[in-house]
Amino acid sequence: MRSSVGVDVGGTFTDLVAREVSGRLRACKVPTTPANLARGVLNGLAAVRPAGLPASVAHGTTVVTNAIVERRGARVGLVATRGFRDVLEIGRMSRLHLYDLRLPPKPEPLVERRLRLEVSERVGPDGAVLLPLALDELPAVVEALKREDVESVAVCLLHGYANPAHERALKAALAPHFAHLSIGSEINAEFREYERASTAVLNAAVMPLASRYLDELVAALGREAPGAVLHLLHSAGGMMSPQAARARPLAMAASGPAAGVAAAAHLARRLGLARALAFDMGGTTTDVCLIADGVAETSAQRKLGGYPVRLPMVAVESIGAGGGSIAYADEAGALKVGPRSAGAEPGPACYGLGGTEPTVTDANLVLGYLDAGRVYGGSIRLDPDRAATAVEALGRRLGLSPVEMAQGMVEVANANMLRALRLVSVQRGYDLRDFALIAYGGAGPVHAGALARQAGIGRVVVPAHSGTFSALGCLVSPLQYDAVQTWRARLDAWDGKPAEDRFQVLEERCLAPLLDEGIAAERVALARSADLRYTGQNYELQVPWRSDAGALRGAFEARHRQLYGYATGESVECVNLRVVARVRDTGVEPPEFGPVGDGESAGAQRAWFPETGEVRLPLYHRATLAAERPVLGPALIEDEWSTTLVYPGQRCAADRFGNLVIETDL
Amino acid sequence: MTRAIHPVTLEVVRNALYAIAEEMSVILMRSARSPLLKEAGDLSSALTDADGRLIAQGRDIPIHMGVMAFTVKEFLKRIPAERLREGDVWFLNLPEVGGNHLPDVKAIRPVFAAGRLVAFAIDLAHWADIGGAVPGSYVPWATECYQEGLRISPIRLFSAAGPDRAAIDLILANLRGRDEREGDIFAQYAADDVAARRLAELTERYGAETLVACFDALHAESEAQMRAAIRALPDGAWEGEDWLDDDGVDARPLRVRVRVEILGDEATFDFAGTAPQARGPVNTTVFIAHSSVYYAMKALVAPQVPPNDGCYRPLHVRVPPGTLLNPDPDRPVVGGNHETSQRVVDAIFRALAPVLPDRVAAGGPTTSGVLIFGARTADGRWAVLYEVHGGGEGATAERDGASAIRVHMSNVMNTPTEVIEAEYPFRIEEHALRPGSAGDGTHRGGLGFRRAYRVLAPEVTLTSMLDRRVVPPWGVAGGTDAQPFRITINPGPNARDFGGKATTTLKQGDLVLIETCGGGGYGPTAGRSAKARERDRREAYV
Repeated sequence: MRSSVGVDVGGTFTDLVAREVSGRLRACKVPTTPANLARGVLNGLAAVRPAGLPASVAHGTTVVTNAIVERRGARVGLVATRGFRDVLEIGRMSRLHLYDLRLPPKPEPLVERRLRLEVSERVGPDGAVLLPLALDELPAVVEALKREDVESVAVCLLHGYANPAHERALKAALAPHFAHLSIGSEINAEFREYERASTAVLNAAVMPLASRYLDELVAALGREAPGAVLHLLHSAGGMMSPQAARARPLAMAASGPAAGVAAAAHLARRLGLARALAFDMGGTTTDVCLIADGVAETSAQRKLGGYPVRLPMVAVESIGAGGGSIAYADEAGALKVGPRSAGAEPGPACYGLGGTEPTVTDANLVLGYLDAGRVYGGSIRLDPDRAATAVEALGRRLGLSPVEMAQGMVEVANANMLRALRLVSVQRGYDLRDFALIAYGGAGPVHAGALARQAGIGRVVVPAHSGTFSALGCLVSPLQYDAVQTWRARLDAWDGKPAEDRFQVLEERCLAPLLDEGIAAERVALARSADLRYTGQNYELQVPWRSDAGALRGAFEARHRQLYGYATGESVECVNLRVVARVRDTGVEPPEFGPVGDGESAGAQRAWFPETGEVRLPLYHRATLAAERPVLGPALIEDEWSTTLVYPGQRCAADRFGNLVIETDL
Repeated sequence: MTRAIHPVTLEVVRNALYAIAEEMSVILMRSARSPLLKEAGDLSSALTDADGRLIAQGRDIPIHMGVMAFTVKEFLKRIPAERLREGDVWFLNLPEVGGNHLPDVKAIRPVFAAGRLVAFAIDLAHWADIGGAVPGSYVPWATECYQEGLRISPIRLFSAAGPDRAAIDLILANLRGRDEREGDIFAQYAADDVAARRLAELTERYGAETLVACFDALHAESEAQMRAAIRALPDGAWEGEDWLDDDGVDARPLRVRVRVEILGDEATFDFAGTAPQARGPVNTTVFIAHSSVYYAMKALVAPQVPPNDGCYRPLHVRVPPGTLLNPDPDRPVVGGNHETSQRVVDAIFRALAPVLPDRVAAGGPTTSGVLIFGARTADGRWAVLYEVHGGGEGATAERDGASAIRVHMSNVMNTPTEVIEAEYPFRIEEHALRPGSAGDGTHRGGLGFRRAYRVLAPEVTLTSMLDRRVVPPWGVAGGTDAQPFRITINPGPNARDFGGKATTTLKQGDLVLIETCGGGGYGPTAGRSAKARERDRREAYV
């Protein structure tokens, strides 16, 4: 028996969590090696070697995300239906900035115009061929793209989702000439041509570099851990095979936030939390995501770098508020917190690395919410004097004492984060009182208690392994594949057969890579859903599939009422069918490691809370919390990676898995 | 400002108000039915104080926002506050009551705290049909407002007791596509409803007193910022003008003229010299004239200032009665909303170009480029395809204009080919950039585009309501003018040039090709770099 390892590559650290055969978890961090990311992964694997040779490596990588953000994609060619190559540049015709003429109103087209080529062909919305594909035009297309050293080619034809025959024929004809092909109907068989083309083209742009990265990694793994199976984390919070990742590397674009959310979803399943919010507060941004019945919410479309991408991604709402967010008074004299951030360099004023503007972290330090006696991140000592100086300067401008100023900064930052929490829950028709908050990221466990109280959330969970939570997310995420097919039909003239046929095709497509890996079909959970809308609407609601038209309509109306507060008797239509195939949890659980200590505090410091004024704040070490003795707030609980603040009136206890659970009476 | 507000409270309340307005827009956009709302986003939402003064706005379109700064104020002149009750939602579309044109229907909900009126939620949605002589309610030959559709004076469609079915049915009985319109009514109700609930939560937390004091503080803040922005401009007076192609009834251009006077921290916009009111539907309301002034000043000097009532206080607008911008109430106005409003912006930009050479953009697609196709479906119902068409953005001192984009007062998106072909009896045969349509200059304008519609139904009505087909987008500072719009029915030997404000009947197999305008150039053509010219050639943009 051998171990399994989760590896998440972040900007600064590569995190690893290894599960030994015994079930014991071993975590470590090694520096990320930006010039050669695979090297950092191997260094990490060497560091967890004591856990045993890995049988499987589950990997989350930012290699695709970085390429998109830094616009390092390959030179791409596009083959489009004659008369429509410019759709990619025309887009949806709306501008990004309503009032600012200085900013470009739309991003540069992803493929330069001369590399967008056309072929004669036409398919209708029902899939009927209106004009056969003129394959004889292809040699000129190939030659034009070859002449321009195009490395990767996207093919996206009108209504290709309804009948992919022409796209497939083009794929076959182009395959001998180009190593990388990205086909619209294979990447995203959904209507709306601009969004599909954008997705296919972005995918084409990252194919070559993703392929090279996977080649390197697979070769290195073959040397260092012979026989280990590699899986990659995708944006919807599941794993896929290297083969799938090569064909659809764009699916890894949001794997960064997906990793933490996947770990939170797994925790929600383990703890039986029906409604949870993943709350990841870092230095610059805070990410939140809804987890209902143990499954993270996903969205079918997002924008990356200004371009639409239509692949399932965890529906993370990201706001520009984090520990490094800078507070300032704007030209009108109004207090603002973020989105500008001091980042890691120079960092908050209290880092003493040259930052002088007050940040949320400085405010927390002034209020006594962080331990000035500790070393953070291996080398950083927090300097309360520098924090106080920065906060005081802003307070003078606004006529507030340093403590008032710090409390004000924290309140504004919390209000921004609360807005994000409400956006993914209340604004989608959920009641926050039913929720638990799962808090991680550097600053999350400091703010979570205050947010929970303001939002009316009764329970906060600060997970064990919060320092390597993303790597844990990779380790615990199941293999998962998805597929979509546009299919239009009105429920009032319903025939279930064609939908059933299409679902079976989608299910086979999702199952194939799982069966290839030798996974038995019984271990796979298949979930069908449909995108429905009132005839004439254009935003679809995704509802779980029912084969009966009446039941399907009922599910749609219930969801519509939940989201918008009403439903009407109008006709309802189906536009898309969706399938997710997911390998069921194996049931292998990490062992329980209950707290072992005596529960005594390890010191105390002064702190200020709005409702109590100045108080004595006891400090505890997380590892020594006693199982049967909850700590009463206010209290500060510390471990190697994070600081958890228990507010006055709250109580906190460690559960049998090592998670901290904070309860608030509402 | 009534009294000092704690800066922390003000910031938290401000963010909460923006979040509410934003949530309204999202609900409206997602649950509405009109194709314009659903794909194109022709909608806006806002919060005002108890006197109807704009506080916060959601995702919006500049035309609407300036107008909504007046709608509640004018509504309150008709329906005094004493008559309003918790749970009311009032609908209206009268241009003379803080309005613009009949298709833009507003829904207003008063919000109370402990029995006291504290705010209004208002949203606006462009309905795809409001009745009248032709499907889509754009009547290019209209000479009276009564031909343009149903005129809804303020009417209460919802109360705390629920929807008033009789009143809703009266409205639906006068429109094409009643199912869709009913969905729009409920979507607008839902957006107002959510705003009322969120505001109630906010008043519960902070108290009505504090909330109202925050409204005043937000107004004062924006006013101070706008005044500072104007103070940075030199004192003086500048004149500018631009021309509409025609009014749809009489074939001659109509002038929009403005004199902009900057004095200290205030600006006055005098439209004396603008053409008399038109017979055809390019007239517009004083509210739209204000709206255009607000947009122009925000874009030119104060893009970062939060738009609310305070930000408009230093701006004075004078519009002589009986002109295009201040017509008698029975004049037709449907096209003036998005055509004449844009020409007002053009005139202001041209007036201020010498003062703000690094801020203005050259002329662009200052029209909504509207084509409306009405087809009867097999079951006898009307399918109305409402298409907007952008063009090339005007160049600026900093950069080339973007291609195929909307500018200034509107930002409505296009409808995808794959949606049109699945839901309407048309095939799109081309959707491509229009090389050579841009004006030249040190920076060139953006390109317009071509879109070709093949008619697949036995009989289709086509109505156009657009401008910039005769008078081209202008170049600035030595840049050249761009190509104007062109509409051709059945290109080829039997081609027919089609007007910008016209209506006709098409038969199966007909092809309508629209070629949209480019953007004007900026700066002398000799100043364009060889590298930029080489790229234009390589990518076949010229």
